[in-house]
Amino acid sequence: MLDAHQLVKHFKGVRAVDGVDLVVRPGERVSLLGPNGAGKTTTLLMMLGAILPDSGWVRVAGHPLPKERSQAMGEVGFAAGYLPLPERLRVREFLHMFGQLYGVESLRDRIGTALERFGIAHLAGRLGTELSSGQRTLVGVVKATLHRPRLLVLDEPTASLDPDVARRVRAGLSELCDSEGTALLLTSHNMAEVERLCERVVFLSAGRVVADGRPASVASRFGRSDLEGVFLHLAEERPAGAQQTDRTA
Amino acid sequence: MSGSSWTRVRAVARRHAFVLLRSPHRLFDVVLWPLVDVLLFGSLGVFVARQGSGGSIAFGYLLSGIVLWHVVYQAQIALSTGFLEETWSRNLLNLMVTPLREVEYACGVALFGMVKLVMGVGVVALTALGFYAFNVGRLGVGLIPIIAVLLVVGWVIALFVIALVLRFGTGAEALAWGILFVVMPLSGVFYPVAALPGFLRPLATALPTTHAFAAGRSLIDGHGMQWGQLGLATGSTVVAGLAALAFLVLMLGTFRRRGSGAWHAPGPH
Repeated sequence: MLDAHQLVKHFKGVRAVDGVDLVVRPGERVSLLGPNGAGKTTTLLMMLGAILPDSGWVRVAGHPLPKERSQAMGEVGFAAGYLPLPERLRVREFLHMFGQLYGVESLRDRIGTALERFGIAHLAGRLGTELSSGQRTLVGVVKATLHRPRLLVLDEPTASLDPDVARRVRAGLSELCDSEGTALLLTSHNMAEVERLCERVVFLSAGRVVADGRPASVASRFGRSDLEGVFLHLAEERPAGAQQTDRTA
Repeated sequence: MSGSSWTRVRAVARRHAFVLLRSPHRLFDVVLWPLVDVLLFGSLGVFVARQGSGGSIAFGYLLSGIVLWHVVYQAQIALSTGFLEETWSRNLLNLMVTPLREVEYACGVALFGMVKLVMGVGVVALTALGFYAFNVGRLGVGLIPIIAVLLVVGWVIALFVIALVLRFGTGAEALAWGILFVVMPLSGVFYPVAALPGFLRPLATALPTTHAFAAGRSLIDGHGMQWGQLGLATGSTVVAGLAALAFLVLMLGTFRRRGSGAWHAPGPH
């Protein structure tokens, strides 16, 4: 579904991403983790074609980036907790616009269903400026799932949500991935959320992959009881030394 | 253009229609400034016409000039501020990760820009008719190719502005309005370029607008269409358009390489 090979990216002389390899298979749920500045967002944006890597390549659903970016993005949904809604659009209009960009048919019904899935049908007539940050995040997630993507990429999807709404988002995402076979690639600082949602985690530190495997086996490889412990270990000791991978776990 | 491409173009145009509907201050560009321009140049024309010989010619030049200038102005402003709207509303990354192609985006903004152009030029033409009994339509069908060239020139200028914003960020957005204040006097909108200081004339002659306005003045003077001027205007518009597209593609690549696509992300570094 997603195949990224040896991605490298420098910003102002700093090697922000340093030879990242990542494969996400159809229907697989993967979380990209790491402390602030580890290179998660840069890696995600390179995988979406929004940033060009200095070297390495990306294929999404078999489409090489950036050459076949338009076809590739037709298979991907993206939402980020930090992305605002355009201010002068109502939620329904915003979703309608993005539905058209993705070529969604029966758009009105699809918008209704997607809003229901995440419990925000009552927001359809609101302007972006009238929403709380949590509600905007939810609408962003609805936008990302509207066209039934084969790969859903979410950057900090629950960062601004209260625990109840975050639970609803996780439930909606789980249902979507189960029913549609959608692959999921997400970043999060909520390790408990990651353990619930994802079957595989990839830890980045200083732009490099330092662990890749099932949550429990990655935790045990670092001698920790859970992912939170791994996260704290990496945050304290970065940059990590040699790469550690656990693809066979 | 495929069906899905056309749908995406319409989606972008519709989005910008909502922006105009919900931002009354945006109507200044298509209603108020055109009105003020006609009042300014129309009154100036009337004053000059009353001074004696040659004044009536100046009156025609001023009013036809401002009507035609608004074709450039409206086309340019609609496209460049349409793009800027995405940066102001931080919607750029949202769009960059959809199947929307750059050319489809530009077509969508330009499509809705045509609506704004009709409104803006309509206000100018009707005000000129109502306030000063100047009917730009009397210039005849020769106006059509001149307007077509000026429309494309407006889009070409907008592409340069967008490319500069991609390269230098929103600090370059003042060019969306400011660049026209440079192009306008050099283009001989109201006078032949012979009226410009000598050292500026070569630069003026290189602009497609200069030849389009010269062709317009020929119509005002009753000399019919100057096909040579129109040909020069068309040819230089094509050259400028190709240069603008090449520059835009180059700047878009730079934008993506520098990671500027992550504008408003919490820092890709």
